[in-house]
Amino acid sequence: MLTANIKRSARTARKAISHIVRCNSSAVEPPPAGGHLPSVSNSQLLRSTRDAALRSPGIRWADEDDSGPANIVGGRETRKMNTYQAVRDAMSIALMKDDTAVVFGEDVAFGGVFRCTMGLAEEFGRERVFNTPLTEQGIAGFGIGMALMGHTAIAEIQFSDYIFPAFDQIVNEAAKVRYRSGGSYNVGGLTIRTPTMSVGHGGLYHSQSPEAFFMGAAGLKVVIPRSPIQAKGLLLGAIRDPNPVIFLEPKILYRSAVEQVPIDDFSLPLGSAETLAPGNDCTLLTWGTPVYHCETALHLLASPPPSLEKHIPTSLRSASIELIDLRSILPWDVQTVEESVKRTGRLVIVHEAGMTAGAGAEISAEIQKRCFLKLNAPVSRVTGWDLPVGLQFEKFIIPDALRIVDALVKTLSY
Amino acid sequence: MIRSAPSSIVFRAGQVRRIASAAGKDYGRLPHSNSPIVSKLKFFNAVSGDGNTIPTYRVLDGVGKPLEGAELPEIDRALARKVYEHMQLLPTLDTVLYNVQRQGKISFYVSLHGEEATIIGSAAALELDDEVLGQYRETGVLLWRGYGLDNVMAQCFGNEEDTASKGKQMPVHLSSPKYHFHTISSPLATQIPQAAGVAYALRRIPSRRSRSIAACYFGEGAASEGDFHAGLLMASTIPSPALFIARNNGFAISTPSSEQFYGDGIASRGPGYGIHTIRVDGNDVLAVMSAVKEARKRCLEEGRAVLIEAMTYRVGHHSTSDDSFAYRARAEVEDWKKIDNPITRFRLFLESQGWWDAQAEEELKDRLKADVMKAFKRAESLPKPELKELFTDVYGGEEPWNLKEQRAELQGLLRKYGNEWEPWKAEIGRFRNKARDLID
Repeated sequence: MLTANIKRSARTARKAISHIVRCNSSAVEPPPAGGHLPSVSNSQLLRSTRDAALRSPGIRWADEDDSGPANIVGGRETRKMNTYQAVRDAMSIALMKDDTAVVFGEDVAFGGVFRCTMGLAEEFGRERVFNTPLTEQGIAGFGIGMALMGHTAIAEIQFSDYIFPAFDQIVNEAAKVRYRSGGSYNVGGLTIRTPTMSVGHGGLYHSQSPEAFFMGAAGLKVVIPRSPIQAKGLLLGAIRDPNPVIFLEPKILYRSAVEQVPIDDFSLPLGSAETLAPGNDCTLLTWGTPVYHCETALHLLASPPPSLEKHIPTSLRSASIELIDLRSILPWDVQTVEESVKRTGRLVIVHEAGMTAGAGAEISAEIQKRCFLKLNAPVSRVTGWDLPVGLQFEKFIIPDALRIVDALVKTLSY
Repeated sequence: MIRSAPSSIVFRAGQVRRIASAAGKDYGRLPHSNSPIVSKLKFFNAVSGDGNTIPTYRVLDGVGKPLEGAELPEIDRALARKVYEHMQLLPTLDTVLYNVQRQGKISFYVSLHGEEATIIGSAAALELDDEVLGQYRETGVLLWRGYGLDNVMAQCFGNEEDTASKGKQMPVHLSSPKYHFHTISSPLATQIPQAAGVAYALRRIPSRRSRSIAACYFGEGAASEGDFHAGLLMASTIPSPALFIARNNGFAISTPSSEQFYGDGIASRGPGYGIHTIRVDGNDVLAVMSAVKEARKRCLEEGRAVLIEAMTYRVGHHSTSDDSFAYRARAEVEDWKKIDNPITRFRLFLESQGWWDAQAEEELKDRLKADVMKAFKRAESLPKPELKELFTDVYGGEEPWNLKEQRAELQGLLRKYGNEWEPWKAEIGRFRNKARDLID
């Protein structure tokens, strides 16, 4: 398979804007030319201190039960990790604590094309961390088989663009086993990890976001982390969840997103969104890579560079926007979004997949039903166009901070 | 898959009677099979009768000398030199484009170092209008057919002259109906069942029936995909003149072929589908030519599929996104280059025939390098296609409303922000006519 050159993407990711909207009322530097990539490396959404990392909302330490005081952070340590290292850390813990756990997929033995399994084969042996032949349907079916026997199968599909040969196994088998056997069988032990979303130069087959294809497959869960802490906690949550989980890892974030990550065993809840910034005037909902485009957009809205000033009415610059990372696409956290939109009266949804039948379609339909009388503007969707991702045109296909800020202005002034 | 057929078909009276009478006459016969009955309990796990590994067909030894008893394909001085020159062109092109990618001028590249004999030998043995369905290491087939370096470069740069993908695909994802080269897809093995369909269609076109075949290339890794098995099964069951050429280069990214399959390579699978099969030394260009020529003949004479497994070695990294020294020793690669270089092997043969010498070699290398550099510089200087191409070729016929509206939305955004939002401003400047086609 062709492997997008992630190293290069990370290097060329443009230098960051250093403040998130409400922390920044003064100095503005215009975003440098040359990229639409978010300011991942300096994002305020990334937890760069031990204390911030240990106090990540929703964190559940594996060594704490419900009997004692919750969330004791004293004595816990963190280590600086990027996303692929955090994914590796989660798998290492799963392999260490669960003797039935195995990790497999194409090229995983040497560390994987995105380095997520680096050193695992050496540490846990080739019986537990192994290469498979190049067959996605084989990988998915094999994982289902192991999970049917009560084992923990952590499978990797090398790119989410290549998951479609496994679609039958995932949608007709993994998702339906529990129902069709009346609960006598299940494949809760199956987790399928796969890199997703665009990097800026991946073209048709290294840029797709297939999350919505799985959204109608009742019985599956679909999760997309935005950062190293999220990747570790949600992946451990997915591995231990009693249901099969598709775990989509935004590949541009493997190297560019860095946080202090707690080294202990912890999980983050599936099916639960996280509010990253509170606000009262509009809800901005997204997941994965565009979380950082949204952060940049909030900055542009509050403090537009001179070239954009005329397009951002002064009256809107103090608007307070609630930024939510959905995290779980299936099931999605309707309560958090509904509660937010009832307060703000406006919703802008951002995703990289195309508009038609993207996850935003499902969310906006449900929210309009629940919040109809509270809405001050139609739900807006900022998405990729309904096109394959043409290589030379990617900067105009994948939504960037400008398209998001434009949608925010339109929605706020509707 | 459970499919219930209408009962009228399953229980047709005549059919039931036929089976009953057959059973009555030949008691003990197997249903639907002519398999001989034996009383000895014996398993088997080999397709060759003697249980040995499938042999490999070769005509030139490692230093370009014909093997004893080997029959050389029909080849004269002119053809031999043409074959050699194209084999030399590929590494020249690879070296330049590999470095161009490293400089960030193109997004991606895959070289085919080490597989020159398989690609050019097969291209030379095919007819120019045989339909080719490639994977992504078969640029040499197009060059053999006269596609030209400028067109290859234009596609790799995705510039305004890229007719193969109009800037839409990653580098080396070529296509050309004129040269009967079907569009390349990054997902692996998808072309294999398609080749069966292409071949069946050829049978139904009177002017091409008995004259053209579908030649389908893929790697030994791709042969692990379900599509490989589906494709060979379709081509053999619905007789189709498809020639399947497996390039067994030893690696699928990092995974060695020893971890890709346990059986006797790809060739062992052919007979399972009732397909004529040969394993050939893919570094011996004359052996490849002979095998492909004969395979092609069988495809046409019998109207059926043939499988060739070409044994070769991927000298280069998988792609520019890969550093193969993370999983194989540098020395292993260097050794292979010395022990068995398909280009050197053929050059020694040419020299032994008096068809080539050091002076010709020097002239050729200078000429090829100049040609490749000229094409590179030209491609580099050209702008990207018109920006409106972003929305073209999604559908034929009438364009749906959503695309019309989305194009208008982008147009509005570009008019509003195109001169003001730095990242867009810089990008717009790289397109033909500075994207005026879409903005105006």
